[in-house]
Amino acid sequence: MSAIVCSHVDKAYGATTVIRDLNLSIEEHEFVVFLGPSGCGKSTLLRMLAGLEDISGGEVSIGGKVVNDLDPGDRGIAMVFQNYALYPHMTIFDNIAFGLRRQKVPAAEIRKRVDAVSRTLGLDPYLGRKPAELSGGQQQRVAIARAMIKTPKVFLFDEPLSNLDAKLRNHMRVEIARLHQSLKTTTVYVTHDQLEAMTLADRIVLLKEGVIEQIGAPAEIYLRPANMFVAGFIGTPNMNFVEVTVGRSDNGWTLTGAGTVLSIEGWGFHLQHGDRAVLGIRPPDLKTAGAGTAAILQGTADLIEFHGNDALVTFGSGGKEISALVPARECPALNAPVRYTFEEESIHLFEATSGASLRKQ
Amino acid sequence: MARRTSLPVTFVVPTIAILLVLSMVPTLYAIVIALQNRELSTPDYSWVWLSNFADLFLDRRFLNAVWVSVKWEIVTVVATMVVAIGLGVLMFEVAGPRLRNLHCLLFIIPVLLPRVSAAFVWKFAYHPLYGIATYPYRLVTGGLIFDPLSKPGTALFAVASVDVWQWGLFFAVIVLKLLETLPPQPIEAARLDHAKRWQIHAYVTLPMLKAPLISLMFVKMIESLRSFDLIYVMTRGGPGVATETLDMYAFSQGFIESGKVSYASAMAVLMMIATVITFTMLWKRVQA
Repeated sequence: MSAIVCSHVDKAYGATTVIRDLNLSIEEHEFVVFLGPSGCGKSTLLRMLAGLEDISGGEVSIGGKVVNDLDPGDRGIAMVFQNYALYPHMTIFDNIAFGLRRQKVPAAEIRKRVDAVSRTLGLDPYLGRKPAELSGGQQQRVAIARAMIKTPKVFLFDEPLSNLDAKLRNHMRVEIARLHQSLKTTTVYVTHDQLEAMTLADRIVLLKEGVIEQIGAPAEIYLRPANMFVAGFIGTPNMNFVEVTVGRSDNGWTLTGAGTVLSIEGWGFHLQHGDRAVLGIRPPDLKTAGAGTAAILQGTADLIEFHGNDALVTFGSGGKEISALVPARECPALNAPVRYTFEEESIHLFEATSGASLRKQ
Repeated sequence: MARRTSLPVTFVVPTIAILLVLSMVPTLYAIVIALQNRELSTPDYSWVWLSNFADLFLDRRFLNAVWVSVKWEIVTVVATMVVAIGLGVLMFEVAGPRLRNLHCLLFIIPVLLPRVSAAFVWKFAYHPLYGIATYPYRLVTGGLIFDPLSKPGTALFAVASVDVWQWGLFFAVIVLKLLETLPPQPIEAARLDHAKRWQIHAYVTLPMLKAPLISLMFVKMIESLRSFDLIYVMTRGGPGVATETLDMYAFSQGFIESGKVSYASAMAVLMMIATVITFTMLWKRVQA
């Protein structure tokens, strides 16, 4: 049985539709990440699951029960907010115990459960303090403790790490992953950070303007993006796009564009002679062409960004900016001519108008 | 270096001096008069030292005035805060943005009325025969007379209601605006934590607003001490001495009944000492 099912869910504020006819089912114990650019409706969707936003149309059910008209407290969910949303005037103990007290759980049991949860999250020494006396990471741990103690059916995380600095973010990300491994609670996690999404998710739901662009495991989304938006959104540095014209040749297909002609076998794609398409190639998939090999893309390196192990080389080819991520030792000098090649397996092809992937399923 | 240290002094000293003169001279003069036996009817006087104060504690009318003042202070401050928080929370929960703005506008009007005008308006409203506030009573009882301002048991509350009408509604607007400034997330977290509407306010929003609400209460306490005009217009301290606060009694001793300005000054000095002590203690407790 699915833990969460959204069927034909809509959300509108007045005349503006934020989420349109969204269908999604999340399995029990699954860790699902809603990913997308700002304003794509991912937080709104999460808040609709939580009951903090009304559902304009369609049906949401949690644990087999339709929850459209249920109060947030009665949905069996717990939520962790971006800015922690702790009660500033209460001690950490009272913050964690607040929900249990409202449910009239006996004091002795509250004590026991708070102790257990705070031990798991290493909050023992801080129970008597106020939130303002804690660091950001500790505050977020309190927020997680407050969610955990209710033993919810579903955890909802709304960009929980955005307010932390980079180092702490990595640390808390690992903690959240561990927590999910041990608790196995169904989790929905909203973020705009693709690294968080890739590392935490069992499945990623990629949203754009309130519509699901692709649902899939992180590797699937990275390797087989369903359309140009997904391909461009996932992966750092961003995928290169080159507009090409498809032509039939004796032993396969040719792709002409950006000052180059590429011959491919093309068995993995739906192609037709004369089609306009967009060729996608990720910067790490571009390899420096040796002296003997034919280069597919070439130009003059006009920007070099040194990353440590690698360097990102940007060059113009046929009026297009192309980036290649090469090992630092192969890094060319600025303004030196560069020549790159790539394997056919690493390319993506998209329909020029709709942006849909031409890959055969 | 010398210029840098002397410039602030040059600017601050005259201001401080003027303020000191303005505030301290009348105060000190009142203390001096309180130690004499001056009366308006004669220019002669002699030093009686503390006998005015001794007389005060034997004066039953003075002790009554102290009690009325304390009652007035408690009734108006508590009622104002209850009305302000009640209406503020109610508006926050029930009203949309446009309705809120309308209410805010309406609720500010009473406090804009001069105190004396408000007092006269309500004096007519409480009129036993023609008043709109007593109309429901006449309607229900078939024409029986109810005169809240001339009954010792109700007079103080009737006058206090005008004070609450002016300040409680105004403070309700402030409470609403304070609630609107709160971040929404703790409230949402509380909703997820099974808190009912009233519990959210009792346990989350109002405790978060503790500091500004206490400041509001102090403002009202100070304001309530200065209700002379309101009481003077509505009851003149009556019926009998039922609404005679300390300032009313001091005024009537000093200027209306006997012209005993020294006796009145002694009262004023006592009031000042009591106020300073009470407010200092309350302030310390709140800070702790």
